[in-house]
Amino acid sequence: MLLELKELNYKYPGSVGDVFRDLSCRVTEPGFHALFGPSGVGKTTLAKIITGEIGGFAGEIATRGTEQVLYTFNLERLPGWYTIQEHLEEITPAANKEKIKELVESFGLQSCLHSRFAQLSLGQQNRTNLTRYLLQDFDLMIMDESLANVDELTKEKIILKIKALFPERCFLYISHNVVEVSKFCKQILVLRSHHKNPQAISLQGLDFREGRDLTKMELEQSMLEIVNAA
Amino acid sequence: MLHRRIYQFLMIYFIGLAVLMLVKYSLNLSDYTIPGVNEIWNTYRRYFGLYFIAVLNTMAVAILGHVLSICIATVVGIIGRLTVWIGSFIRVAAYNIQAYPIVAVAPIIFILLGDGLSSRLLIAAMICYFPLLLSFIGILSEPVAEIEHFFDSTRRMNWRLQVKIRAFENIHKLVTVIVGSATLAMVGTIVAEFIAANAGIGYSIRIALYQSDLSKILVALFLIGVCTSLYLVFLEWLGSFIKKRFGSV
Repeated sequence: MLLELKELNYKYPGSVGDVFRDLSCRVTEPGFHALFGPSGVGKTTLAKIITGEIGGFAGEIATRGTEQVLYTFNLERLPGWYTIQEHLEEITPAANKEKIKELVESFGLQSCLHSRFAQLSLGQQNRTNLTRYLLQDFDLMIMDESLANVDELTKEKIILKIKALFPERCFLYISHNVVEVSKFCKQILVLRSHHKNPQAISLQGLDFREGRDLTKMELEQSMLEIVNAA
Repeated sequence: MLHRRIYQFLMIYFIGLAVLMLVKYSLNLSDYTIPGVNEIWNTYRRYFGLYFIAVLNTMAVAILGHVLSICIATVVGIIGRLTVWIGSFIRVAAYNIQAYPIVAVAPIIFILLGDGLSSRLLIAAMICYFPLLLSFIGILSEPVAEIEHFFDSTRRMNWRLQVKIRAFENIHKLVTVIVGSATLAMVGTIVAEFIAANAGIGYSIRIALYQSDLSKILVALFLIGVCTSLYLVFLEWLGSFIKKRFGSV
């Protein structure tokens, strides 16, 4: 068990309705997992509870081997006084410096290195932001729509690269895209409205990797399961 | 930028002058009450040099006071952004004290410090300090979550970086408020000189007032307007340079 949430209850201060009611779920092994669910169901809130950015909840969060948790979201920006290259060099720990080149190339960011963040397209901005997080030391990374505005081919390339580069780390990928969630993720935590019981359901994804075969029927089956669960 | 500022000032100045002349000739007022164009022109030629030096003197104090107030507002703003009690105390104190008219405090300053440079400087700084402080506190207290989040979660955040991020993100607002407060610095210096100082254009206006010489006052106003416009143009140029160099956020 890497991460376990036991009977989590939470509502925003001043609000009447619960966000979570007796929510329980667990992630048992490293890999590229997903947190899936309709808009407003509490995915980002759950992510912030896991990282400790939100407190005041009831229940228990147990972790093992996931002490360093990072949460990244798609609206983040880099300081404007740096070029991308200067920023990456500044914020990368010495032990991870050699990964800069590889990640920059894999994420198609070579042409952006001498630009400032505001000069990049939305997709390039999100890729740059994700790159700098991947260059940090972490055990669990929660990626909240981190690949929004990135085209499908590049997105696939990036996810496969992350899975190849960090097989021992744990990722929780928040996305609304049922295709990419079912295709690339190992375990899919489907978060549902607090009226439904249980509020979270764990499903097995296809965990697609390079060199593996995937049939259309498998994909459709998996997607159907996710949609039905939500 | 330069010609726009000067053009705007000249337009307002000459409209004002025209209104005065209109009042003078329509009510048939004497030259003693409102001097004629010829007298104003003669006064201008006679006193231009003297008043120009006085305005430069005033401007030097105003700029010094302006810089001083920017420095103090930055330091207090940095402390005021803190979420601990000292930050709250500074914020509350700043909001309350700024409501108090500095001109009312000015006589105390003159009594305590005399009518020299220090009093003029202090009053100039105080008059433009509070608007600056309120903006600085507001800007430096407001988190920029989209940028700060990374540094917070990787435990790299320190107060210098936080201030840098917030100042950089709000560079347009900072430049606007600094340019806006420059006029206040000039006003503050002239008020100080008018109340009790022994130099500067405010002092010259006071003497002219005792002599009931409106033409001298009009000449002084003209020079104040031109010099203030030049200072504002310089600040605007500096602001646009900073925005161009660093403002691509």
